[in-house]
Amino acid sequence: MTQRILVTVLLSLILISCGKKSDVVEIQDWNFGGRPHLMVWLRQRIVSFEQTHPGIKVVQSDKSWNMIREILYASFSTGTGPDVVNTHANYAAEFGEAGYYYPLNTFPDFKEVRHWYMPELLETTRYKDNYYGLPSSAIAFALVCDKAMFDAEGIAPPKTWSQFREAAKRLTKCTDGDGIMDQYGLVLMGGDKGGFAYRMVPFFYKAGVNFMSDDLSKVEFNSPMGVATLALFADMYQVDHSIAPGFLAYGHTETNDMFCGNRVAMCIEGPWVRGMVHEKDPTKEFYIVAVPVPDEMIDRYDTAPTLQDMVMYSVNARSKNLNAAWEFVKYLRNEEADMAWIRDDMGALAVTTAALNSPEAQNIKDLPLFIKELKNARPLPPHPQIVALASNTFTPFCEKAIVGELSPQDALDQAAREAQSVIEGKE
Amino acid sequence: MKKATPYLLLLPALLFTALVVAFPLVQNIINSVREVSMVKGVGKWIGLANYTHVLHDPLFLLSFRNTLIYALAGTLLALLIGLALALLLNMKIGRITTIASFLYTIPWVLSPVVAGFAWKWILNDHFGILNYWLSSAGLIDVGTSWLGNPHTALFCVILARVWQFYPFAMVMFLAGLQSIPQEQYEAAAVDGATTFRRFFHITLPNLRPVISVLLVLGVIWSFNDFNMVFVMTRGGPMNASMVLPVLVREFSFVYFDLGKGSALSIMTFVLLVALSFLYIRVLSGKETA
Repeated sequence: MTQRILVTVLLSLILISCGKKSDVVEIQDWNFGGRPHLMVWLRQRIVSFEQTHPGIKVVQSDKSWNMIREILYASFSTGTGPDVVNTHANYAAEFGEAGYYYPLNTFPDFKEVRHWYMPELLETTRYKDNYYGLPSSAIAFALVCDKAMFDAEGIAPPKTWSQFREAAKRLTKCTDGDGIMDQYGLVLMGGDKGGFAYRMVPFFYKAGVNFMSDDLSKVEFNSPMGVATLALFADMYQVDHSIAPGFLAYGHTETNDMFCGNRVAMCIEGPWVRGMVHEKDPTKEFYIVAVPVPDEMIDRYDTAPTLQDMVMYSVNARSKNLNAAWEFVKYLRNEEADMAWIRDDMGALAVTTAALNSPEAQNIKDLPLFIKELKNARPLPPHPQIVALASNTFTPFCEKAIVGELSPQDALDQAAREAQSVIEGKE
Repeated sequence: MKKATPYLLLLPALLFTALVVAFPLVQNIINSVREVSMVKGVGKWIGLANYTHVLHDPLFLLSFRNTLIYALAGTLLALLIGLALALLLNMKIGRITTIASFLYTIPWVLSPVVAGFAWKWILNDHFGILNYWLSSAGLIDVGTSWLGNPHTALFCVILARVWQFYPFAMVMFLAGLQSIPQEQYEAAAVDGATTFRRFFHITLPNLRPVISVLLVLGVIWSFNDFNMVFVMTRGGPMNASMVLPVLVREFSFVYFDLGKGSALSIMTFVLLVALSFLYIRVLSGKETA
């Protein structure tokens, strides 16, 4: 009896294994971060993709931005990475160099697809001669000013450094009459090394400072204008006391709380700021303006570049289903899909020219400013070590200069020396 | 066949151990003597160069010093608080003892990540409860920054560590206190010994094995503690609270230099193995005593 059962089970298993192989291709999509609207939209988009592409099934999982590098490097270096993933566009250099991302320009229809996007944004996904992602969620950094505080003081959002410094000074005050400062002009994000660099670099860029040379061989942020930029913040902190004194401990949550809690008048943020602030205080009004320029560069206020950042969708170079992954990425990032960034608050800007020029786009507050800034904006240099350079050399030395442990010149020179040794592979 | 049976039965466990302990360890040792960059891939064998680079890195000395302070101060303070509370609980004041012992153990069962975030908010300069109380009492200025000040950040993380570790020390001390023979106290009382003398001549000597075990365990666990520091300060501000486990992460996943990260983790591992041997010796000494 037992033998019969065993034989039956074995035969069944053999028959099952000889059955027709499924025609459905399964691809993995890892989605890092994103505001709730975006995550809901992504799920809906996957459902409609599977309906229009019956041969492809997408297995999607959400992951946190906080550990993105660890997760991706661990998975890609062991060959277990997903087929499709969204990352910062500056990963194009790192992951392109490492051979983890597939060069999308090798797909035959890339020539048509590339015309969907603002050319400046598509360029951000390029490393050497290859494009490693399709743009999604563009970001330009701007200055955010509390409207009530500025109006009460009778001052306009600053355009130049001296206006910026003066505004921060005037808006640093005691509001409850006990003689102790409880409102500051500006908040910085010193507790998040990457976040700090992303908020400091726009000021360097606006002052005409390069982070690195165009050929990526030399660090250039310690130029005289770079030192002047850092000196501005050092003076605001040490002389004017107009930067929130606890900024070295602040991450994104704390800076947002300070702004929403009326403890600071200005912060440096991206297009997500309206959604983030209104989640905590729906009534709060604020101006979003371009990052100020040095006084002598006022004629370049509208054209000087800010820092651009962007998320892109990429395909794993080791994917066994490259074509399916490419179809999925195109479906996520085509012009029709991009309209979701116009219709809903995704915390970032649309990237296709069709969406940005659509009639609906004209009704979005702040969009004209961000589009103007995006056109001139520059990303961080596409160096494979850029995140380490920005977070671990640029940030700590800038922080030391701001709090007065080093002079701005010494701080940037030391940071440049360390960064240079990383670039040259001595470190 | 009979001779082989025990070995066959042991085989799955041995294979499992090899997979989850030996393989990562051996791989880490190999990585530590090679050029392993996540960007450039695996390069040539470079002997002890990674170790030399780590030792010459200015952050290493700072992190090592911080880790020592974090481990020793955190453990000693937790032991003192744990002992004090265990002495109170050992007085057995009715039902309050049960309730208090339950409440006191809550920090121990919390995840270090949750505890880290809780302390981060308690210590927040503008919205934290600690600053609210202290500034209301006129003891500090409004907006005093604890985690944003390079001089106080490490102390704050130690405070959180003490808060998490003292319940374990308390439970261990309580068990130790309850195993001390009452006759010793009775004899001391007959001899007219004061409470103070009874504590130093009976309680403390009897608790010595527990203290030794707790010291070694506390230092080992603190040396390995990544979560609390990473959640509260990420090693900042300006690396003021950088500790070795966080530095391993910086080398490995920020600079993508797995070779250097592996070298540092092997150095930490060797130190902890030495401490573990000490722990085993203390434990075996306790058993024989």
